[in-house]
Amino acid sequence: MATQENNDDRIALLQGTLDLLILKTLVLGPCHGQGVARLIQRQSEEVFLVDHGSLYVALQRLEDKKWISAKWGLSENNRKARFYSLTAKGREQLVEKIGEWRRLTRAMGLILEPGNGLLGEEA
Amino acid sequence: MFRRKRSAEDFAEEIKAHLELEADELRSEGLNDDDARRRAKSEFGNVGAARERFYRKDRWVGLDRLFRDVRFALRSLWKSPGFAATAILTLALGIGANTAVFSVMNAVLLRSLPVADPSRLVYLRTSNPPKGTGTIDTTQTFSYPVYDALRRQNGGLSPVMAFVPLSNGKVAVRYGAVPEEAEGDMVSGTFFSGLGVNVIRGRGFSEEDETNHASIAVISYNYWTRRFARNADVLGTTLYVNGVAITIVGVAAEGFEGVEGGGSTDFWIPMQSRPELNAWGNPLEDGKTYITNSTWWCLRLIGRLAPGVTRAQAVAQLQPVFQRAAYIGIGAPAQGEKPPVLSVIDAKNFAGYDQMYGSPLRILMAMVGLVLLIAMTNVAMLLMARNAARQREFSLRQALGAGRGELLRQLLAESLILVSAGGALAWGFAETATRLLGRWAQIESSLAPDRTVLLFTLGVLILAAMLFGLAPLRVALAGGAELALKTSAATSNTDAGKSRAGRIIVALQMAMCVVLLVGGGLLIRTLRNLENTPLGMQVDGLVVFGVQPNITSIPEGNAFYGKLMEKLRALPGVESVTVMEERLGSGSSNNSGMKVDGKLPDISNGSSGTVRSNVVGPDFFHTLGVPVLEGRDFSDSDTAASPHVGIINEVFAKRFFPNQSPLGHRIGPDGINWEMTIVGVVKDHKYRSIDEEPIPMAWYMYAQIPITGAMHAEMRVRGEPLAILPSARKALQELNPDLPLIQPMTQRAQYDTTISSQLLFARLAGFFGFLAVVLVATGLYGSLAYRVNMRTAEIGVRMAVGARRGQVVWMILRDSLLLTMAGVMVGVPLAMLVGRALASSLYGVKPLDAVSYLLAVVGVAMVALVASAVPAGRAASVDPMRALRTE
Repeated sequence: MATQENNDDRIALLQGTLDLLILKTLVLGPCHGQGVARLIQRQSEEVFLVDHGSLYVALQRLEDKKWISAKWGLSENNRKARFYSLTAKGREQLVEKIGEWRRLTRAMGLILEPGNGLLGEEA
Repeated sequence: MFRRKRSAEDFAEEIKAHLELEADELRSEGLNDDDARRRAKSEFGNVGAARERFYRKDRWVGLDRLFRDVRFALRSLWKSPGFAATAILTLALGIGANTAVFSVMNAVLLRSLPVADPSRLVYLRTSNPPKGTGTIDTTQTFSYPVYDALRRQNGGLSPVMAFVPLSNGKVAVRYGAVPEEAEGDMVSGTFFSGLGVNVIRGRGFSEEDETNHASIAVISYNYWTRRFARNADVLGTTLYVNGVAITIVGVAAEGFEGVEGGGSTDFWIPMQSRPELNAWGNPLEDGKTYITNSTWWCLRLIGRLAPGVTRAQAVAQLQPVFQRAAYIGIGAPAQGEKPPVLSVIDAKNFAGYDQMYGSPLRILMAMVGLVLLIAMTNVAMLLMARNAARQREFSLRQALGAGRGELLRQLLAESLILVSAGGALAWGFAETATRLLGRWAQIESSLAPDRTVLLFTLGVLILAAMLFGLAPLRVALAGGAELALKTSAATSNTDAGKSRAGRIIVALQMAMCVVLLVGGGLLIRTLRNLENTPLGMQVDGLVVFGVQPNITSIPEGNAFYGKLMEKLRALPGVESVTVMEERLGSGSSNNSGMKVDGKLPDISNGSSGTVRSNVVGPDFFHTLGVPVLEGRDFSDSDTAASPHVGIINEVFAKRFFPNQSPLGHRIGPDGINWEMTIVGVVKDHKYRSIDEEPIPMAWYMYAQIPITGAMHAEMRVRGEPLAILPSARKALQELNPDLPLIQPMTQRAQYDTTISSQLLFARLAGFFGFLAVVLVATGLYGSLAYRVNMRTAEIGVRMAVGARRGQVVWMILRDSLLLTMAGVMVGVPLAMLVGRALASSLYGVKPLDAVSYLLAVVGVAMVALVASAVPAGRAASVDPMRALRTE
């Protein structure tokens, strides 16, 4: 609790990234929260350890913005779960966010490793 | 609007589903059931925090926080019930007392006349009456010619209305055979229409009724209720007033009881012109009624400002008319005489009430304000002390991430709870206290706390909430988060025990305590002086009642009173009987200049030449028990035929006959060619009221003067004085069956009415003084005891390194005594200021009364000593090791 303020800072930093990762994951099709977390973890080769609390809050936030929609359904192993899917608005946002992210990483790359324009592509 | 789209339960369900899915997957990776669950949970992290974040997301945060703060504050107050109860009760008493006195003050001072558009109504006043006139009140009453001239001026004031009572008190009335008494006024024909008072049944008066002196009456709603049980048949009933038949034609609107403050008028009749119904119930003077007697200024006047006319314009317009009319029937003003000047004053409020209760109530209000201030300081002190003791808690919470804002909100929530609970309790207290106070003050008007009072109290409450919320904040935040690092409760608290703000407040409380004790002491001594004032006579065993016979000639009057006294003397148990024109202790008197040996005396040392006089019967001073110093009392042998005799008091003798015997000198009233020879000098005694100073007095023998009218009979009886009344009533009605005993009572009770408002004031002030002292004393005790408790650890250390018990106790006491000295030094000059303000309410005690001051200082020192000695002794008797371990 003593580091609560720092905690808050980290969430702020992650916020944009997490939203993007969620949207990207959902492009593949409807998925529940646990699935989204696993997918992000796996696809990032376990680099990103997703804070589950933040994930669900982010999901709720995206839902409120109507970028994703949710409904209760059954998982492949017959568990009740809340499935999220991308809305049309969400898709637009995804395209836009990916563009933003590319510009950001390219700029970062230009500064950190001058001359190597490919860094952005790798991320 | 505040409804969330998704419930917290749904969210919790989702998290549960997540954990299960995760566990399933982990199992499929080869973990056993328990491990899978555990790891799923640990990977998720803080479930509670996630739910909390969801919960807080886009909620209406303010309201939610408020609930949380209030819940938290309630919990923390619940943990210290003693503190909470003290604070709430202190507030309730302070605020409740304030509301009660404000309600009474409001009722008395701010309540308007129950008439239409009262702000346009004005009372007429004169600077002085012309020379050679008699008045009821030198500035408030006018002659009939003045009234007549003013009402005919259709200018600035339209109409000008006159009103005058039929008696100085109650008048004899009769419906059937049984005589009773009621209060009645003679008024202008324009009275009801001009004031804008509705006559709810029947009709009011017209100007013709005044011109014709119609024998009709309008009765008050209150009288209709009291006497006739609101019987609709009352219209047409015949009412005999002093034997004159009058028909009731109307009932006035509820709440209207005349325009004279204090009393309540039962009925009104148009201005009359007959001897039985003279103004003030006076006998005719030279056969003239108040209408024809232009030297008697006896009418009160009230006027309504004409539309669009200011007061100044109205006065300017009426002034020449008034100054001309003032000398009608008197002759030209004397050389160099200052002509009377007309003025008008607000008639919005009852003038009489303000005179009687205004200044005392304002002082009471100030006292109650002080009580409220003390109560608020007490609670602030309590909160401050409590929060200082909680500094570690605050520091810890700051260290754990609570923002300053959160601490502030919590403190505010705590004070709001205290203030609203205190306020609710205060309201109930105020309701009761207002009613009691109203009954005590004998104010008949309804005394429900009204909207103004509510707003006023709310204002005080909000102020209190702000003050209590913010006062402890500085202490709470001063600690800062780093204080939590200090591990010892003892060290973290020593500072609080010595804080400068705390010392200043304790000293100020002591100062206030001194002020209140001095004020209370002065008023209590005033009360005792008033109750024990020697009257200069043997008042116990005297009983008095009024008689209002219809007397048309002097011999008839003398015969009537002669027979009455004879009959009363014959009653068993009666020792002696006399009669008098002005009742003793009724607050009124006849004042005039007096000629000594044919001319108005020159008074060398500048004292007043005014003499009070009364008309009395034989055995007057013997009956009262007033010692005759020189000469003799009046006796039955002083008759209309014998030489005129008079008696004076000591002051009269000293002022007008310095260094010589007054016996044998002649005196007589100014303006009338009538003289009497002084045959006796009596000891000074109280005449109008208990709190009067001696003033020159002269007594006439009733049988010798050219007027006889209503009188009061005074009897000295053995045993219970009032037991004589039935037989006295029988004796009177043998003479005239129409006559009631008017206001029969013991002479002692009559005198007591003259100090009732002082007694009321002194008692109320005493009550509030006592309340304040109790509050201050508890506050003082609480804060001193708290300060000492904070030093328990320090005391432990001192004793561990060898300090003796006595040394420790003295160390604590010395500190408190220094504070007391500071408090006394501030308090005494303040008390002197308060004493000066009280001066007019004091009787027989000086504002700088040494005894009151000494007692106040001793009282404060006692409270301080007890408040510090008890905890100091307790602290010093604690085992040093335990004190040190106190955590």
